[in-house]
Amino acid sequence: MARFLPLKVTDVRRETRDAVVLTLAPRDEDRALFDFTQGQYLTFRRSFDGEELRRSYSICAGVDDGCLQVGIKRVDGGAFSTWANENLAPGDMIEAMPPMGKFSLPLDPNAARHYVGFAAGSGITPVLSIVKTVLRREPKSRFTLVYANRQISSIMFREELEDLKNLYLGRFSVLHVLESEAQEIDLFTGRIDAAKMTALFDRWIDPKSVDAAFICGPEPMMLTVAQSLRDHGLRDDQIRFELFASGQPGRAKARPVSKATEAGEGTQATVTLDGATRSFSMPREGQTILDAAIASNMDAPYSCKAGVCSTCRCKVLEGEVEMAVNHALEDYEVRAGYVLSCQSYPLTDRVVVTYDE
Amino acid sequence: MSDTMNIEDYLAQGGVLTALGNVPARYRGELMRLMSSFVDSELAASAGFASSINFAPGIKERIAASRITLEKADHAERVLAVMGDFGTDTRRYQSQHDWAARVERDTDLGATRREGDMRLSVFHYPINGWTDAVVMKVLQGLATGVQMDELARVSYTPLAEVFREIAPREARHAELGLEGLGRIVGNGGQSEVQASLAYWRPRVAAGFGVANSARYDTQARFGIRHTPNETLLARWEKLVGEHLGALGL
Repeated sequence: MARFLPLKVTDVRRETRDAVVLTLAPRDEDRALFDFTQGQYLTFRRSFDGEELRRSYSICAGVDDGCLQVGIKRVDGGAFSTWANENLAPGDMIEAMPPMGKFSLPLDPNAARHYVGFAAGSGITPVLSIVKTVLRREPKSRFTLVYANRQISSIMFREELEDLKNLYLGRFSVLHVLESEAQEIDLFTGRIDAAKMTALFDRWIDPKSVDAAFICGPEPMMLTVAQSLRDHGLRDDQIRFELFASGQPGRAKARPVSKATEAGEGTQATVTLDGATRSFSMPREGQTILDAAIASNMDAPYSCKAGVCSTCRCKVLEGEVEMAVNHALEDYEVRAGYVLSCQSYPLTDRVVVTYDE
Repeated sequence: MSDTMNIEDYLAQGGVLTALGNVPARYRGELMRLMSSFVDSELAASAGFASSINFAPGIKERIAASRITLEKADHAERVLAVMGDFGTDTRRYQSQHDWAARVERDTDLGATRREGDMRLSVFHYPINGWTDAVVMKVLQGLATGVQMDELARVSYTPLAEVFREIAPREARHAELGLEGLGRIVGNGGQSEVQASLAYWRPRVAAGFGVANSARYDTQARFGIRHTPNETLLARWEKLVGEHLGALGL
């Protein structure tokens, strides 16, 4: 199981008014663990008022940059991104899991490919990592980036992208699409929608020349771009998606824990699955929450029934249960109320669980 | 471009996920269920085919059976690694069950699974000889081909990629089976082949699941599945008819 390791913040660069780029250094003994592939992300954790928060941010450095960098854009109301933007300073330590994710294609130094990237806002971070890596490692390949932002001042990595254009003359082009700023060419003003995509393909990008496409941004934009790519002849395996950080689940709230076993033999269980809730009586011993749910004709997910695979994970909202075995859930998940339903026996006379959260 | 969308709407409209942090709880459950069924089936298939190596009549057949045994285990390991990303204790998982265990030949399990072991029911039945192994391989290999086309479209990209890597090798297993079947038929083994076909055909068909499955609807909503069980079954029946017809069976 992946674990968290300390990283030292060696630089904090303000990229835009509400985004920073952190440069991070692992300990010497962890260095190999933090080798990354272009397009991967790091998952950080930190406690805020006793609640552990985990957030993933894409690495924006190229694999040959010789450093580990992530871009963090402040999200309104986002505890972690606000903290990173306002409080982090060089010398601070931060905890992260080794890089994860697969938002890339295998590199081939002999390939002469045409890649296109579609990024919106901070969705640029993993795409930038791919751009830098591909241009360096595949000297015959080229990259066209379509980059959507609200206005010029909110464009992350604007200068760095300009530098890359100069460094890889003729192999890298950027088309900026700005939502609320008029540009000389109408096509580059507004939002990326189906009509704009078609116009792009008509006038700027020959879809037949495209070998692979990378998309990172909010969900509606990704669906629009992906559909247009398919309509213009790209296969699913040529299209790579990376969902925006905004889609990530909210904070894991710790539950008040009372270990007191209530007297009594039966339990009134309430189980929610796919939005439907059922209540039934079950014994305190001899039957797990999972088996009781299945006995009540609920198609609850499970596989190994041995506390190993975690397919049957659910969340306890009220009452207490006890797991006989847990080989799959991490401490933070357990603190947030998650249990393996195949191993859970009720301790209280009322238990409320959900498979939907 | 700041507006977002409910993740389930996104998935229902063909969106895909790449990072496990974005995976909703119910999606996770259904994805894990699908992966464990695949892993258990591949491990059981590998274990079952291991004994068929010694049924092989010649070196060529022995190599084919060995290769299938090896690669099935490899495919199980690759998908289990994706489960590991979600927290599965992969080391414990692979020793959870006796993957070589089989029921009596004349048992009828239908489509039901056995407690905690999510292999497709067809992998609970024993193979009783070389012809039987080849016939089972042909029928199940063609079924796997149909299933791989479906699985390669799964909306969790890291898993879709594993399936895309695996698919050509699984297809090769079916080809090896068809080559072997051609040799058996060429050597006059028709009646034995027919007996094995009669045994395995309904058992492989059961692996496609029931028509109008509620679970399919849930999985389709998440983009985990795209084609209903009954359509996949019909595709397989057509394929089987074509291949067996070509061999005069």
